[in-house]
Amino acid sequence: MTAPLIAVDDLTIDYGRQPAACHRAVDGVSFDIRPGEVLGLAGESGSGKSTVAYALLARRRPGSRIVSGRILFEGEDILPLPERQVRLLRGGRIGFVPQNPATSLTPSMPVGRQIVETIEIHGVARGAAARRLAEDLLARVHLPEPQALARRYPHQLSGGQQQRVLIAMALACRPRLLVLDEPTTGLDVTTQAQILTLLADIRAEFATAMLYVSHDLAALGRLADRIAVMKDGRLVEIGPTASIVGSPRQPYTRVLLAALPDLDRPPAGVTDDAAKRNGGEGKPLLEIDGLVAAYRGEGLSAIWRRPPPTVRDVSFSIRRGETFALIGESGSGKSTIARAILGLTPHRRGGVRFDGRDLPADARRWQGEWRRRIQIVFQNPDASLNPRHSVAAILGRPLERFFGLRGRDRRLRAAELLESVRLDPAFLDRRPDQLSGGQRQRVAIARALAAEPEVLICDEVLSALDVSVQAEILALLRTLQAERHLTYLFISHDLAVVRWFAQSVGVLHRGEFCALGPVEEVFSPPHHPYTARLLAAVPRISAPDDNAGRPAKAWFGGPARASSTV
Amino acid sequence: MTLLLSAAPRNIGRRPSLTGGFAALLLAAFFAIAIAGPWLVPFDPAAIGAGMPFEPPSWQHPFGTDNFGRDVFSRVVIGTRQALATGLAATGLAVIVGTALGLWLAHRRGIVDEIVARILDVLISMPPLIMALLAVSVFGSNPALVVLTVAVLFAPRVARVVRAAALTVVTEDYVTAALLRGETTLAIVLRELLPNVAGTVFVEFSIRTGYAIVMIGSLSFLGFGSPPPTPEWGLMINEGYAAVNASFWPVLAPTAAMALLVIAVNLFTDDVSRLIGHSGPVEARR
Amino acid sequence: MPKLIAFRCLSALATLAVVSVIVFWMVEWLPGDAAERLLGRDVTAAGLAALRDKLQLGIAPWSRYGHWLAGVLSGDLGTSISSGRPVADVLAGPAGNTLLLTGIVLVLYFPLSLGLGVWAAVRQGRPVDLAVQLFTLIGMCLPEYVVAIALTSVFAVKLGWLPPLALIDQAHTFGDLIRTLLLPTVTLTAAMTAYAVRMIRECLIDVLRSGYVDMAHLKGTPPRRVLLRHALPNALGPALNVTALNVAWLTGGIVVVETIFNFPGLGRLLVDAISNKDVPVILSVSLLLTGVYIFCNLVADIGSLVFNPKLRSAR
Repeated sequence: MTAPLIAVDDLTIDYGRQPAACHRAVDGVSFDIRPGEVLGLAGESGSGKSTVAYALLARRRPGSRIVSGRILFEGEDILPLPERQVRLLRGGRIGFVPQNPATSLTPSMPVGRQIVETIEIHGVARGAAARRLAEDLLARVHLPEPQALARRYPHQLSGGQQQRVLIAMALACRPRLLVLDEPTTGLDVTTQAQILTLLADIRAEFATAMLYVSHDLAALGRLADRIAVMKDGRLVEIGPTASIVGSPRQPYTRVLLAALPDLDRPPAGVTDDAAKRNGGEGKPLLEIDGLVAAYRGEGLSAIWRRPPPTVRDVSFSIRRGETFALIGESGSGKSTIARAILGLTPHRRGGVRFDGRDLPADARRWQGEWRRRIQIVFQNPDASLNPRHSVAAILGRPLERFFGLRGRDRRLRAAELLESVRLDPAFLDRRPDQLSGGQRQRVAIARALAAEPEVLICDEVLSALDVSVQAEILALLRTLQAERHLTYLFISHDLAVVRWFAQSVGVLHRGEFCALGPVEEVFSPPHHPYTARLLAAVPRISAPDDNAGRPAKAWFGGPARASSTV
Repeated sequence: MTLLLSAAPRNIGRRPSLTGGFAALLLAAFFAIAIAGPWLVPFDPAAIGAGMPFEPPSWQHPFGTDNFGRDVFSRVVIGTRQALATGLAATGLAVIVGTALGLWLAHRRGIVDEIVARILDVLISMPPLIMALLAVSVFGSNPALVVLTVAVLFAPRVARVVRAAALTVVTEDYVTAALLRGETTLAIVLRELLPNVAGTVFVEFSIRTGYAIVMIGSLSFLGFGSPPPTPEWGLMINEGYAAVNASFWPVLAPTAAMALLVIAVNLFTDDVSRLIGHSGPVEARR
Repeated sequence: MPKLIAFRCLSALATLAVVSVIVFWMVEWLPGDAAERLLGRDVTAAGLAALRDKLQLGIAPWSRYGHWLAGVLSGDLGTSISSGRPVADVLAGPAGNTLLLTGIVLVLYFPLSLGLGVWAAVRQGRPVDLAVQLFTLIGMCLPEYVVAIALTSVFAVKLGWLPPLALIDQAHTFGDLIRTLLLPTVTLTAAMTAYAVRMIRECLIDVLRSGYVDMAHLKGTPPRRVLLRHALPNALGPALNVTALNVAWLTGGIVVVETIFNFPGLGRLLVDAISNKDVPVILSVSLLLTGVYIFCNLVADIGSLVFNPKLRSAR
């Protein structure tokens, strides 16, 4: 057993100045990381995992206070070190990769310059030598044309490229430890998979120890030797990846694991029952025929310049009671289809038929009944509920408009709606900011149900929520579908969810279907290349041995290579 | 007000600051003086010879007397009403028109919005004080016209700020949801947009009030306000300044009154905008 | 980017054209005609007729506007009614004086506002910051004439150190010039600097909280370097914007300040011309000041384009 590279000993961190009114973010956390080891730190948002990551670089987040504990890096406590010595560690012997690449690169400085700066600060090289080293690093993280790329500004790179630059920067001085704070959270599914692949490769090549902070147990399972699970500031479980993933001891870890969508087994709350397989009956309820649509352009030029269509010639139909899923990466046109069906995009072409009638291309020309029978639930519950209205007002407005309910009747009905989405009717008098994300999404669903719709369009309704909450909402949608005989157009980027939730699926790539049909057919080989790529990107829970068995090079022979320039 | 404040999600744990509370008290005092002024003053503000010319402060004349022997204290107190009334009227008018226009534009979007927004930009890029000077010198300088002029100059600025704030709201999904319910333009503007830009509108109102008071004062100081016997602060400063060597007080009293009022308005705005999570009255608004 | 700049320039020109129409028509739309207004009530019929003839009041307003505009474009601003001299001559001296005053103000303005703004931002919440904030708040919300009067009362009337009036024509030595210009300069600088300091402070504090400044610290960058290389360049864009707006504000500020100190510049010329109803001078001065105002706004716009790498590479 080698001596640990870094040891965290009884770390406690508070937010807030006064001892009375402070919030304990990290509570007596202890762990260590051995040289070359990857430790995964899992937990949901607010569990204190990022605060721990910052502490490893002896940096306090604004408003936080280290109450007690030590952090021994190579045997020396780094918390009491003077600023000058801490600076030598940061970027020198401990590298950091932040959560949000878009805001973490200085916008006024070319990216190459930022890496050179790191190299020069730590005295590794200067001038032309530092520039060559930086270009070499950019090539190492598989960025194309490093010389040209080094001269670009951060905003000229995609999110994936920005994260690669930051990883290159973290590696610039050959650190012994790399701290990664949710490095893939803000990225697309396929980009996430590529970054994970890159990190595995770096690990093989540099033998760098890592602390990998993530809410995504599947990603951790792929990369980490050991996993630590945090909840409410405490470390609830720590152990080898295989045992955490295979036989978790703590109930909370089990909840986290069970909530993970998995291609190989249905997620919690969704049973793979016969009703699902036979779902949908009779003639199509919603028919989309040759749909062409674009987002609304912005600015004066939008008047004479039509935006290029983001959806090109898409056709599909949904039968009553069926769940049809639209999947694809961000920017593939999924949400545009939803908005086009509802008449919210300009210049829509092609047919949208609902129950045998043509729906006008402009929502303002819709008849009252149509408005009622098709409802939508949006991605982000923060933006879909008016923060100035109470829940009663939010639910009451559609009841008033569609059914003319007023006063007591309206309130009673609103309370019933809350119960149907499994919320306490006492929430009627709350405002959205007094609810959690999951509760808000339930209210948003209740608002859609208030109209007693036949078709419910769910536009990425899970993606803004924590994993365990996602499973609950999914289960609720399934129950409601059975109770109310709803027809779903389910938009998602998550194949694992769609695999078990929908009967039919359309895979969108750059505004066109590259696969369309029943779920079993689309997801079973032979795949369309793009579907294959998406499938490969789905993180699976597995012990790291699966990966270790493969030679490092194989990572780049796979699907990742085609898109390493994302 | 309290409702507006408590509704904002970000203000949890924020308290009014000491300066904000002080400013609020000061403002309340100014309002009280503006209303009760006529019952508070010992002399008719226009009465010539209430004392000897240029008397220093005394118990009888707390701020002394001016060149005509008029009581400066009475004039300053009576002038409060006009300063507040013209400032608030001009701002109120500008904010009502500007908010309505801004909200409608943000909701309307498209060609109409783009064109009107450009026209607003053109109107805003005219120097306000010089345009006001011209307008007042051309149309005359009675208080109603001054108020109207300042309102016309400020309305496009308010409209631009409110439009910008509302543009971030109209893209929110709850507005889309309202649109899909088939709500009318008026209902969307009043129910969905206005409550969410109320903070901006309020901050805009109080900032503009400060500016309006200053601008109306400037016009009056330059001799384009009410005619001479009127106890208007700007005019009093102008008149007193001509004889500043004889006595200090006829200038100092109205100057201090105006300074206190404007500082109180700004401190109050600063605090309220901090409480409701706005950036405060710093962004360039001239 | 060139397209954007061209567009801004065009809209600035359009604004100037609109302003010229508005200014011209404002003077046109008066009750009675211009001649009556100019000469007042007690005037002979012959005098009125002669003036009407001179002002070409018989011609349709639009063609008179065209005529006037053609004159302006060819450098002929008309003749001042009160002095009888060509407007261009009347303008020359005051324009030079105003340029001198504003020039000195600007030279002081840049280092002062940048220095104080950065100092307050990096010492956020400390006594220095609070003092700077107090100063800027007072400077921001007090009207110029209040500041001017306060300064004059103390330094000219009470202490007698400086002249209360800025009679630049009577300043014969360099020392005289400085003493003459000191009070108006301080008045204008105080108001302008206050705005810029607040703006730079707020922008810099925002930037100091940003992810990339955090990242710069986390890669071991020395604090001074973080400030100068990572934070400041990204805070200057909005600050530059407020500078141009400030310069634009000067066009109004000088009217008040020049009147107070009896400084023979464009601002006082305008006020005098308005009192004398000297229409050609009113038109020329207000158009000139408006032109400066619009030009400054244009510079601010283009400046923020140039300083923002995002906008710079667009299109």
